[in-house]
Amino acid sequence: MRKSFLLSLITLAIAFILSLAIGSVFISQKDLWDILRGIGDETFTFIIWQIRLPRTILVALTGAALSGSGAAYQGLFRNPLADPFLIGVASGAGLGAVIAMSIQWPYSFWGLMAIPMAAFITALLTVFIVYMIARVGKTIPTTNLILAGVAFSSFATSLTSFLMLRSTSEVRRALGWLLGGASQAGWNAILAILPYLVIGLGILLISGHALNLLQFGDDQAQQLGLNVTRIKTILLIAASLATAAAVAFSGIIGFIGLIVPHLMRLWFGADYRRLISLSIISGASALLISDVIARIVLAPQEIPVGIITALVGAPFFLWVLRRAKNQGYW
Amino acid sequence: MFRKTFLLTLLITLLLAGCGPDALSGAVPASAAITLTDGLGRSVILNEAAKRVVSLAPSNTEILFAVGAREQVIGRDEFSDYPAEAASIESVGGSMGEYSVEEIVALKPDLVLAAEINSPELVKQLEDLGLTVYYLANPSTLEELYVNLEIVAQLTGEDPTKLTDSLKARVDAVDEKIMPLSSRPSVFYEIDATDPSKPYTYGPGTFGDLLITRAGGFNIGGELTDPYPQISLEQIVVSNPSIIFLGDSMWGVTIESVVARPGWETIEAVKSSQIFPIDDNLISRPGPRLVDGLEQLAKLLHPGVFE
Repeated sequence: MRKSFLLSLITLAIAFILSLAIGSVFISQKDLWDILRGIGDETFTFIIWQIRLPRTILVALTGAALSGSGAAYQGLFRNPLADPFLIGVASGAGLGAVIAMSIQWPYSFWGLMAIPMAAFITALLTVFIVYMIARVGKTIPTTNLILAGVAFSSFATSLTSFLMLRSTSEVRRALGWLLGGASQAGWNAILAILPYLVIGLGILLISGHALNLLQFGDDQAQQLGLNVTRIKTILLIAASLATAAAVAFSGIIGFIGLIVPHLMRLWFGADYRRLISLSIISGASALLISDVIARIVLAPQEIPVGIITALVGAPFFLWVLRRAKNQGYW
Repeated sequence: MFRKTFLLTLLITLLLAGCGPDALSGAVPASAAITLTDGLGRSVILNEAAKRVVSLAPSNTEILFAVGAREQVIGRDEFSDYPAEAASIESVGGSMGEYSVEEIVALKPDLVLAAEINSPELVKQLEDLGLTVYYLANPSTLEELYVNLEIVAQLTGEDPTKLTDSLKARVDAVDEKIMPLSSRPSVFYEIDATDPSKPYTYGPGTFGDLLITRAGGFNIGGELTDPYPQISLEQIVVSNPSIIFLGDSMWGVTIESVVARPGWETIEAVKSSQIFPIDDNLISRPGPRLVDGLEQLAKLLHPGVFE
């Protein structure tokens, strides 16, 4: 158990340093060391502290939020296909963002906050609507949640596509956002999302035991003394808060929230008390590495990181899955 | 319900609390500085004419070169390909709206010239990093184009008079020939026909629409509502344009391929072989070459008066 944490923390540290060291402007190891000691070149120092560090931290937080929420959703729905976007956070956020983009905001603090705010609000609103639709009396049947989520997501996604067709001039901006990328956010974005991530992920971290009980099914978990409806609601709120805050500034980054929890489960077992924290740590590493790749393949151009996560992540995951094939893992 | 509304409000307030508006406060201008309001309504202050300029759009690069500031351009976006010597200037990216902010900062520009294809978020980020950014709004008429040229000239300490005078004279020459004419041939301008049953065209308010009208044509796309609409083949057949411009010729679309498209043979322009390839960069980029575009369109639309 100790080994798994040590391993993922070391990976995170390496990914973090790589993310700081590699960018479209070449900064050598020696220069980087000088900068960390405060005696580096002025421009390079500025690039590291004002561009790369905030970006690195935002990417790490986003990866942690998506992957932690993904692990919780997979446990909550007892479904290996669950990801943090399953019940509408992504499609809701996308709709909000594109609506906000179709309006000409004045160039001001509030005008610039309109897009992340709209994304955050519509993401939470979507989850709330799906939750209300799926409710039957005092219970929330899992199947209802998934079906309502998928149906409502499709609805929101087609609205988004329609709006994008109507406002052609904003398509590039919208597409960039929908494919994910944290390149244009600074320290402010980190401060804005941090409270939600701390609250959301904090709740998930202490819910490992409840998630373990939920694996027996709703009825059994209830008999084992768990207030199933309440814990489900709490987990949904916590995961949605973290995810909505993460996508508000970083856009929609797919796949991380699906595969990282699976990898952790394959490697380190299905105990949710460990799985959640390992997913959070490794989600950060995975997105950091994807982001580094997104920065260097076509440098000085950058590719939206959402393309890389699936392009590199899917083959890697399939390879791991193939090797673990006979272990009856889910 | 009230409690839920309250909670949501609280959540939003918290989201906002993280980001203070402190970064928006500007610096105090020095004397003899250049102060201009840009396309986003921002007040942009330069202590002296810019010596190191990064251009974030092909149109901006063309304008900078045209006003005589080529020596000052030290960075350009990926798509700046005109004039040809712009290719040797360092690129700062720009595909899919993703610019390398690191490269821009490393070039230490004293002015970043942004355009409408750049997002306000990018402008804000560059501004927060301490760079001076001027956001050049798209002109909506040729007259506004001259104003843009004058602005860029002022920012770079150049004299635009010769350039604007010559452009105005060329536009006047076209106007003089076109104004007296009563015929306004109908035009279909093709931007992209990957799906030939509903190609993209220039709608109202675009440069394409503006130039076709000024060149003495009637743009059938101008009747639609969106700026870059997909027009159905049925609508093209009904409008029956007498001339077709192929803005997508730079992507390999040929006259022969248009003639061969099923259903197109009934269109007047196809029957009378009035199909002309055109360099779309002259029509779509809001720079000085719009006037070249105007002249080419006018000559193709009214060859008689341009003997």
